[in-house]
Formats: sequence, C-alpha cells, structure tokens
Amino acid sequence: MCRILAYLGEPLPVRNLLFDTDNSLVRQSYSPRMMNTFLNLAGFGMTAWDPTSLRPEDPFTYRATSLPSFDRNLHFLASKLAPTCLVAHVRGVTYSGEGVVADTNLHPFHFIGTRVVLAHNGHLRQFPSMRYSLVEHVEPGIAQRIEGTTESEWIYALILSQLDDPYGEPATRELADATANALRILRSVRAAHGIDTSSPANICVSTGRAVVATRFSFDYGWYPPDDEMLETDLPFVSLWYAIGGEYNQRDGDWRMTAGDPPRSMIIASEPLTTDSSTWLEVPEYSMLTAELVPGGLEFETRDLDV
Amino acid sequence: MSDRETVDFLATIPLLEDQEEADLAELARVMRRRTVRDGEILWRQGDDAREVLFVVDGAVSISLQQPGDRTVEVGRAGPGEVLGEIALLDGQGHTMSARVTEAGTVLALARSDFAALLVGQHPTAFRLRRRLASLLTSRLRHQLGHLAVSLGGESARLPAEDAAPALVDLEQCPPPDSEYVRRMATFHDFDPLALWSFLTSGKYVRCPPGRTLVAEGTPSTAYSLTINGAVEKVLVRGDRRIRVGLAGPGMAFGYESLIDGRPSPVAAIARERAMLLILPRDVFDRLFYNEDAVSRVFLEVIQRDLLATLRQTLRPCARLAASV
Repeated sequence: MCRILAYLGEPLPVRNLLFDTDNSLVRQSYSPRMMNTFLNLAGFGMTAWDPTSLRPEDPFTYRATSLPSFDRNLHFLASKLAPTCLVAHVRGVTYSGEGVVADTNLHPFHFIGTRVVLAHNGHLRQFPSMRYSLVEHVEPGIAQRIEGTTESEWIYALILSQLDDPYGEPATRELADATANALRILRSVRAAHGIDTSSPANICVSTGRAVVATRFSFDYGWYPPDDEMLETDLPFVSLWYAIGGEYNQRDGDWRMTAGDPPRSMIIASEPLTTDSSTWLEVPEYSMLTAELVPGGLEFETRDLDV
Repeated sequence: MSDRETVDFLATIPLLEDQEEADLAELARVMRRRTVRDGEILWRQGDDAREVLFVVDGAVSISLQQPGDRTVEVGRAGPGEVLGEIALLDGQGHTMSARVTEAGTVLALARSDFAALLVGQHPTAFRLRRRLASLLTSRLRHQLGHLAVSLGGESARLPAEDAAPALVDLEQCPPPDSEYVRRMATFHDFDPLALWSFLTSGKYVRCPPGRTLVAEGTPSTAYSLTINGAVEKVLVRGDRRIRVGLAGPGMAFGYESLIDGRPSPVAAIARERAMLLILPRDVFDRLFYNEDAVSRVFLEVIQRDLLATLRQTLRPCARLAASV
C-alpha cells in the first residue's frame, strides 16, 4: 500500500504539497491518517512538468529509497520547483522478507521515450501467478523495459500498450480509455487464474497536461484467510481531490481558493490538511479526468464499471 | 431556569423520552446552562466535539462548508432540538458548523457526562441507545431527502420482482471464520461471547452482484450485515443516481425501516458478490428491544453504522450524480 498525489494547475511550489501542510504527502509516509496498521517507508518518487524549463515536454524526475522526511536534497529541490503538473508517491510494502525495496520499484514509473507516467496505490493479490499471462497484452518493446518486481510497473506497461502510440502523447479521452481497458484485461486474467480476492487499484496516470485517476478495487471485500493486510484493506482505499483557483495559505490555513472556471486541482490518497472540509472524496468505483485547457482546467468524474 | 424547570424541559425532548424523573434530575444537575448571543459560533465544521447542546430557546443555523469557500445552510435548530451528538458519539470532528441566529439559551452536556449515560447495561442506557438510533435514523432520512431533491424526478419504479423481498431465495452458507470477523474495526472491543451470540442470531447467505436486496420506498423485511463483498446504497431518479453509501465488510443496510416503521429511504444493490448475515424482523426486534449483553453489542453496531452512513451521505461526493 502506498500514498499518491497528483497536482495540475497554476505553478505551485512542490514543498507546499510535500512538506508544508499538516497532512502533507511526506507526512503520510510515516503518519497516514486513513490507513490502518501500515506505514509507507519504502521510498519516495516524483515526476514534475515545468513549462518554463529546458525541453518542457520532458518531465523532471526524482526518486530515492531513503525516507523523504530526512532527505535534504528533496527539501532543497522542493523549495525551488514550481511545476504546473506533479505526480508524487510514497511507497509502502508489507512487513516481510518478500517486499523488495529498490530504486527500480519506485513510482512514478516512466519509461524513457514515452509521454505517460504512472503511480499506483494498491496491490494485486496473487500477482506472481498472473504476471506472465499479461505478457500477451503488453507491447513487446514496452515489456522489455520492465525492470522491477512490482505489479504496478506491469499495470503501467499494460496501459501504455492500450494506446495507439505508446510513445506519443495521448489525448485525455484515449488515456482514460486505455486505463479502463487495462483494468478490464486485469479482470479477465484474474478470472482465468481463479483470483477473486480484494485487490485495490487506485491508479494515477499523467502526461503533464492531463491526469487520469481511478478509485477502484477488484472483488472488494473478499480476503484470503489470515491476510496480513486485512485491517488496511477492509475500508475501500481512499482518494480525495480539491479543485478551484489556486492552492495557498491564508490566515494560517492551506486551502484551494474559489475559481470558476477552475484552474488548479490536487488529487491525493488523503486530504493534505487534517481539516478536510474543503476536499471532496472521489466516489468508489470511479474515474476522474482533468486536463489543462486555455483559461483553466476541464474536469470530469464518471462511474468505472469494468 | 430552576432545576425543576430544567427537568420539565428535558422531559419534553424526544431523545430523553421514557427516562425516569430521577435520571433527568441527575442530568439537570450536571448540565451547564448557557446564554448564547446572536451571531455566536458554537463550533465550526471539523472542530473536536466537547459537548452536546439542547436548545432551550433561540435559534441556531446549521451549515455545511463547501469547496471553493462556499457555505450552505442545511437546516435550523430551535427549542427542544439536540445538536452535536454525532461528533460526540463517533469521536470525529463536527459534521457541520453551528451559528446562533437568534439569541437564547442552551443546556450543555459535557462529553464525559454524555458517555456516562450510555455505559453499562441498565435500562436507562438501553432506552437512550434506542432513542439515539431513532434520532440518527431521522437525521439520515432528512439528509437523504436533501440528496433526493437535488437529483429531481420521481423515485424509480422497480419491477415487481425487484421490489419484492429478495432475501429469501438467496443461497445459504456456513458462518465466516470468527477470527476474520473479529479483525473488523466494527467488532473490535466487544465481549467475544456476546459478539458471537449476535453473529449467530441469523442466517448467512451468498448474493450475486447486481442483485437488488432492498427497494427504495418499500418496507425492509430484515437487517443485513455485509461480511464479505460490498452493497451499494443508492438513490435512483430517472436516469440519474447517487451512491450515498457503500456497505463493505462490517457495514449493514436495510434496518432504517425496522427502526422507525417507515419505508426504506434507499435501495440496496449488491455491487460485488457478497456474503451477508441476515436478521429477519423478529430477530431484529428481539435484539433491539432486549436489554442484555448481546443487545448491547447489537445496539452499538447499529449506532456505529448509522454514524458512518450519516458521514457518508454528508460527504460532498455523494452529490456527484452519475448516469446509470
């Protein structure tokens, strides 16, 4: 289990999202409020797009297996960057000898030459038994780039493979459809292998101009006997968003200002502030899309029935 | 306001109906009488709850903070009404803000004194728990009514076979592993024997996804508790619908009309295949009105469910209607 964050909108200092609020993403690595019995200590990663940077279509990436709260480089960078799009992630792995804490397993995943990145909050139970059945659904050139051991990277490869051009920048609708198709493939492969236990798939994919996020679980509510993740998985994995003009601090409180049409949006596993009254909960079994357009941001939520 | 007047006032409050005069006198003794000014903020949404308030006179506006710096008034409370009990019961922040719109008087009951009323297995505590269940059901219906109005249109007319009680022909199955059930947050901190007596009071069934288990606007015939899987609570109006709650493991549905005798305020439809514990009306009534350790567990489970469902219906996403 992990925590994810996506931002799209007006240029915003990264530190406002990672460090400054009382339930910031980095704080969620060691003190998540909406996860039971689990911490996210297996590394940090972020991908950011800044239109004023050199080659703005190429995002800036930073990933480290160290704890982000003690990462001084991250503190310095977060104070200097003010992107218009950010995807960030703190990774959690089960407390066993099976989890692999390694740079190659850190999110967001981004294969060089592609224009889409992915971060995932969730886990596909019994993934090892279905891994190789996914190969036939993944573009060979994409499959060759898989370096890590996580199911998240396979989901990423699967989504890229559903695009007309895995190396081009897809339109928002195409990216949303590719994500839903990837979930359908996962459902059919799970069925073929007789896998019918709860497997959350809160996915966030982005091109820097658009974000697609899902709040979804396969077979929610069913668990193997003696499951070590049970207490964490019993509630539907959370996802929230805040949308409006810009995210800033007023009278000591961080909040999204009013904006019509909206110009900025944050999507996060948990609200970035303990006061969640200005945040909206993404409905279970749904997909959210947001895209930067001239004059603001287009946004849509729809039921996800795959 | 003399102690006598306070006792007389408390006796008129539905939440405290049926309480012995001696209990009301004790309550009056620990309550603090407070004058409130026009415009005074009693609490803001999200604030920690410290007390429950009984409005003696004056008026209070109840409002919901919305994203984009908007505030929406969702109701007004006047003499005899109770405020702040939800946050006090579930230990989370206040669900809404409360501001005085007409100067008056309130009686404040501190968290510890309120909690003391509910502990133990004496008749007073059982009566109060049942009254709280009725009050929370009423609040839930009020909130669901607001959501239904926002959807517009008429309540969906379900086919006759869907509107009929759908629980009888579900496949029965053995009870779940007790260790699994005890790991659910819903059942933490209950006496194991009393909990097991509750969990063996009904029958266990399996249900396929998509099955309508309770139809909106018809009386429910049973209390259902999700053991595995998930059941959606939805309002349907024409081609629009709102999911107002998701009953995953440890969450219940179908009991509102068993509490207040009115039709079910929402439909319950299996979203995932599910394993359910079904308590028919007679079993529900026995557990609801008995006053023993098993009933205490049952009333606590219902209270937790009502509180969680109320919070679900208040979350802004519930207003996001999706086409069916």
